[in-house]
Amino acid sequence: MVARITSDVSSAFRRILRPGSVLVYVSLFAICIICLVPVVWTVSSSLKTREELYTATPTLIPKQPTLLNYTWMLTREDMSRLPLNMWNSLKVTMGAVIIQCIAATLAGYAFARLEFRGRDLIFYLLIILMFIPRAGGLMALYEEMDFLHLRNSHLGLALLFPSAISVALFVMRQNFLGIPREIEEAAIVDGASTPQLFWHVDLPFVTGGIAVVAIWEYIYVWGEYLTTLTMIDFPELETVSLAVTKLQGWSAHFTSTLLAGYGTESAAYVVAMAPVVLVFILLQRWFVRGLTEGIVKM
Amino acid sequence: MAQLNTQRVDEVRSRGAGAVFNQIAREIVGLRSQAWGNRWGYVFIAPAVILYLVFQAWPILRGLFMAFSDYRWLVKATHGLVGFNGLANWVEMFTDPTFWKSFTISLRFSLMFLPITLILSLFAAVMISKVRNSVAAGAFRVIAYMPVILPISISMLLWVKLYDPQLGYLNTLLQNLGVQNVPNWLGSPGSALYAMVLPTVWARFGSWVLLFLIGIYSINREIYEAALVDGANGWQQFWSVTLPLLKPIFALVLVTGSGILSATEESMVLFQGTTGGPAEAALTTGVYAYRVAFIHGDMRMGYAATMSLFLGLVNMLITFAIFKTLRTERA
Repeated sequence: MVARITSDVSSAFRRILRPGSVLVYVSLFAICIICLVPVVWTVSSSLKTREELYTATPTLIPKQPTLLNYTWMLTREDMSRLPLNMWNSLKVTMGAVIIQCIAATLAGYAFARLEFRGRDLIFYLLIILMFIPRAGGLMALYEEMDFLHLRNSHLGLALLFPSAISVALFVMRQNFLGIPREIEEAAIVDGASTPQLFWHVDLPFVTGGIAVVAIWEYIYVWGEYLTTLTMIDFPELETVSLAVTKLQGWSAHFTSTLLAGYGTESAAYVVAMAPVVLVFILLQRWFVRGLTEGIVKM
Repeated sequence: MAQLNTQRVDEVRSRGAGAVFNQIAREIVGLRSQAWGNRWGYVFIAPAVILYLVFQAWPILRGLFMAFSDYRWLVKATHGLVGFNGLANWVEMFTDPTFWKSFTISLRFSLMFLPITLILSLFAAVMISKVRNSVAAGAFRVIAYMPVILPISISMLLWVKLYDPQLGYLNTLLQNLGVQNVPNWLGSPGSALYAMVLPTVWARFGSWVLLFLIGIYSINREIYEAALVDGANGWQQFWSVTLPLLKPIFALVLVTGSGILSATEESMVLFQGTTGGPAEAALTTGVYAYRVAFIHGDMRMGYAATMSLFLGLVNMLITFAIFKTLRTERA
């Protein structure tokens, strides 16, 4: 038994040490380190006290980890608006996700399954805009949102973001096209109306597609920066991705001698990116599905 | 009949803008002979179409008009259609030294970003495709893709922390290696633009890795086996099998990547606002247009729209050239 394990291990090592494999693994580990170092360094800095941050030889792993940076950022409401910003992000993101899922699912069904006058024409008109350069999109949006009184409004953002619907529409249309027609036929014979068909027969088959659309929209809206910056004037309305850009140099003045701005800011960055990183790690197979279904199709 | 139609939609779309325009004309001509069909269809598409018309189509059309008008947000008299000034914005743009400076910066930035990202992501994808263990390959894919899903502002801020001249990890490493005068990466005009390339590559190369991987995984294993029988080594396989078969992916990657010409957010987060960094060394055209439209003076949105449209047109030309050279069908 032991002999078998050792021989397994040694053969595994030999396989890894084959010239081709060594190159593969070494270069992949190098790439992973490049990908991870910025994140790891920030997480590590967020766990350090002032003293440890300013030490002459800082280490990647904190020697005496502390959560004080986090408690400072999350509880000092007189100085940091982080909890409020997180709440704003959550509101905007959830609103956008729900709106986009509803709109894309309904339209995807119509373009895949229903026949009505001008259907294909409308579909082409929806996709032709992808080929037109968006010149003053942001400037025109500023004017329009101001006119609609949707600037400085979370509702405005939650309506604006899901309007970039092309990819979601393709994904949903593709999902509905994948359902065999025979499944609908029995229900049609029973005299089901179009909404009944959609709700009871087809919808249960596309929950996976809806999940893909929801996750992509969630990641996009949570991280949106430029449009939010343009539409939001007041700090108490800012989403977290926008608010963290304004922390630099500011928190340094307020922190106690125990903490440093470098540490508290790092803590804020970690809090701001945690929701997307967690969702990504937990639900990563949906991302690849979304990529293959939506992006490549484009 | 319906099935056939939907297939045609996909086929036309893949042939690009010209084919779509053509098809639109044909659809309009045939519209009156079509039956009304199931009118529930209009109800179902209504939310998506309304959102699209209000927040996508209108801003694009209005923006196109703005590019030919002297629209200043803070001067009410220039609002609406009154501001139309023909090509005056364009004349001003072509004689504006700051615009040319910013456009050069955008070009230099793109010309550094594209080859680095292309080589790095292709290399990573080929390496990941060589990993047989599916768990390990999955882990590598997740790690390479992770920077892509981070909010763009956070990605840049992580690098601000790394670049920090006093406390950052980069300079700590350099000092450990014995470098005496560590550079102030973001703070000096000489290095600011280069310091912007690295985080941008970091934040974006993962999506290209996945695209290349999808391409590589879809290449039939038998082709490699045939190449192996012919005595091709790893490098020859890559050069004569993988690369040619990845042509459509290259086109896709380059087309999405050419959008980097309008990079705005990277500079605005790294250098805190529209300053464009030390001595405006990282003032891309995107940042300059944003500054003109939203920060400076009368908020000259018309002139900013002109600059954005110019970037968009250059981008269209690049896309066109990519499709012509790579001769691929996918748009």
